[in-house]
Amino acid sequence: MDIIPQIIVNSLIAGSIYSLVTLGFNLVYGATRFVNMVPGVLAAIGGYTVYYLFNQLGSNLYLSIIAGILIAGIFGYLSDHLVFRKLRRNKASNLVSFVASLGIFTMLQAVISILFTSQFQSILDVTQSPTTYEIFGATFTWIQGLIFITAIVAFIGLALVLKKTGFGKAVRAVSDDEEVSKIIGINTDKIISWIFFIGSCLAGLSGIFIGFDTGIRPTMGLVIVLEGATASIIGGIGNIYGGFLGAFLLGFVENFGILKISGEWKPAISFGLLVLFLLFKPEGIMNKKK
Amino acid sequence: MDYLIHLLILFAIYAILSLSLNLVMGYTGLLSVTHAAFFGIGAYATGILMAHAGFGFFTSLIIGIVLSGILSFIIGAILSRLSGDYFVLGTIGLNYLVLAVFTNWYDLTRGPLGIAGIPKPSLFGVSFFQNNYFLILSLAFLVITFFISRFIVNSSFGRALKAIREDQKTLQVFGYNIFSYKLAIFTISGALAAIGGSLFASYITFINPASFDVMQSVFILAIVVLGGLGNLKGSLLGALILVAFPEFLRFIGFPSEIAAQTRQAIYGLLLVVLMLYRPQGLIGKYKL
Repeated sequence: MDIIPQIIVNSLIAGSIYSLVTLGFNLVYGATRFVNMVPGVLAAIGGYTVYYLFNQLGSNLYLSIIAGILIAGIFGYLSDHLVFRKLRRNKASNLVSFVASLGIFTMLQAVISILFTSQFQSILDVTQSPTTYEIFGATFTWIQGLIFITAIVAFIGLALVLKKTGFGKAVRAVSDDEEVSKIIGINTDKIISWIFFIGSCLAGLSGIFIGFDTGIRPTMGLVIVLEGATASIIGGIGNIYGGFLGAFLLGFVENFGILKISGEWKPAISFGLLVLFLLFKPEGIMNKKK
Repeated sequence: MDYLIHLLILFAIYAILSLSLNLVMGYTGLLSVTHAAFFGIGAYATGILMAHAGFGFFTSLIIGIVLSGILSFIIGAILSRLSGDYFVLGTIGLNYLVLAVFTNWYDLTRGPLGIAGIPKPSLFGVSFFQNNYFLILSLAFLVITFFISRFIVNSSFGRALKAIREDQKTLQVFGYNIFSYKLAIFTISGALAAIGGSLFASYITFINPASFDVMQSVFILAIVVLGGLGNLKGSLLGALILVAFPEFLRFIGFPSEIAAQTRQAIYGLLLVVLMLYRPQGLIGKYKL
């Protein structure tokens, strides 16, 4: 079948985008232990920052991308600084933190709609035909190639940071046990702030890539956070290696799934997969059974 | 006056939704972000049956309630096995899935175009076409829903739910089947939400998928959280505040598109502030 190589390429690109959100999601979940909706809206913020700087103001594309990543990161940092840190002090339950994240998500999504309307926007100039490459009869654009390479680099980079550096050790310690980390003298608030910043940068980057690949709209965040959470659970929630695997698995299952049923049912495929894992393998692929 | 009646009808609909959600969230401690799905199932059942199949309002209402009850039973059977974060994620995913059905099952729901021309109810030859009659009908259903909910939470069944909320493990030790309790309340809650949906479809006379998305679920959740978890009167209070307050924005001259978004921004902010300073809501009896 001719179509198979193309589907494999599409799956890899979808998996790459998911993997960025999932990396961030797992990093933050590992340290804070609640489902955080904010990365979804940060992805939209990343995408809209690039849209504003590049499309509306005509700034340099790469500078716009960097600005988009950093602004998403700063918003993520602020969400921790202004809200989640206080909730941790209050010993709030994970459900309270979740509802707060839902509130931030709802609020920022509405603000984006007010600033940029609810219309669908394309980031790259659609009239300019993108350069395409071919591999085994499958075509992909340079931006899709960039997405794939970035995802691999981000994953390896993050894995190295976590394994080799002192900061990585502190992150792992906080993820293992926040209280004990505090007792042995780790500044846990500072580490968690950094985790939020890095995770949010990754979310922003994924939003930018989605903007390049398909386009952006203020409500894009919900799907992103659902796909990210699904990939995390498939791989093993809080486990960045599992999440990476889960993201690509999700990409493949969705793209091969829409071979059989029409593309509009993609949410049904990912939700079906989520439910299957929640019921039969809630610990995911890479985590040990509790 | 017409405008006030309009607001009161909306209040009644949202109060029905928040009362039914409070049963699951406030009394059983299950955080659910999928109530708009059951709201939508009730609305679509009424819309399709009345506009396309010539059914009466009350028949379509009952069919909607039963259908929503059956679906929430099936869905609850899956979700009730989950807890905490996983339950929450499952409910969001579910709302998303139901929305995909509304949007993509074109032959039945006419997709994004929605269903137009849904008639107003009539009973014994009296049409509820006029809004003041419709208000009486809506308030009647609100009162029924309130008393059903109160009966449930004051019954021994309701006490068991509260005990599940407080300490699930202990109750299990006493031999209660936690799973079937959660499933039962989830089913009842979904069935009651369909009443709100039927009223909504018949009142607005037009429905499309956009009214039943996850953000609608978040709005209903905000009503419950603001008014107070585990207090039925809190749900009435929350609905009153959150339905009335955004109208204020219209009075001070916001264009309607911006007003809708500002409303969303405000209740988003409200959720954050409540979680920080008053997680039990205004008159709530339970903290998440």
